[in-house]
Amino acid sequence: MRIFKFFFDDSKEEQWINDMASKGWHLKKIRFSFYYFEQGEEGEYEYRLEVLDHFLKGKDVKEYLDFTESAGIELVQKRLNWLYFRRHKSKGPFELYSDASSKLTYFNRMLSIYYLLIFINFLAVCTNGAFALVELTYDLNFFISVMNLLAVLLLIVPTINVIKRKRILKKEMAMFEN
Amino acid sequence: MQQPLTEGVYYILLALYEPRHGYGIMQIVEEWSDGRVKLGAGTTYGALKNLQEKKFIETLAGEGRKKEYVITSLGKQIVEAEVTRIKELYNNGRKIIKAEGDL
Repeated sequence: MRIFKFFFDDSKEEQWINDMASKGWHLKKIRFSFYYFEQGEEGEYEYRLEVLDHFLKGKDVKEYLDFTESAGIELVQKRLNWLYFRRHKSKGPFELYSDASSKLTYFNRMLSIYYLLIFINFLAVCTNGAFALVELTYDLNFFISVMNLLAVLLLIVPTINVIKRKRILKKEMAMFEN
Repeated sequence: MQQPLTEGVYYILLALYEPRHGYGIMQIVEEWSDGRVKLGAGTTYGALKNLQEKKFIETLAGEGRKKEYVITSLGKQIVEAEVTRIKELYNNGRKIIKAEGDL
């Protein structure tokens, strides 16, 4: 089965993929915005999404993937920095980050990536917007500027989501160690 | 004074009194804690990287998934200090509870 879908929020994407898995549809690959599913047993796999550090070297990525593979975790798809993992339910509950301090580090990693993307898009809004203002005939610049502004607005959604998750975690950490 | 270790890091260091590879650490920690501490792969990998940087552990020969880690003498000092700290917590806890007559 092939489904066309577009996500701007990783937690919603992960939730949707797991909802599909609980109905017996297991994600097999992603091409552009097409998600390909294979039918199997209901809830056979649990899926987890992870974003890698954008400064990570190829060697370190390979080392991490070797590590996860040895832990019985299957890499379903890699899209730029985003990894789509799954593990068979016979191996127990599947979490990549099991304690508060490593979750916090992970939230900070996600935030730094979202901030960088927002910054790049915002820069594009300004430069293209400036061109469009100086030469009122530059329709293309105006169009690009609007598209980038839209991207900024859409990126704000997952960013706020991560900030919220981080705030809840920090409250917990003030009392509990893990 | 040394900062308290997270439960995960404490158990990872203990596991490395014998050379082990990443997944071996995750398995033995789950076994020792009767299934209570299930280390995530991301958590374990991140901790191993940090512990190497701090020279609390080092790698032995081997590549990729066969890479083995072992604790250093500095790492052992850290674990000993942590055990002392936990002992203090435990002893004070017991003392107070005993005074209450619950134990």
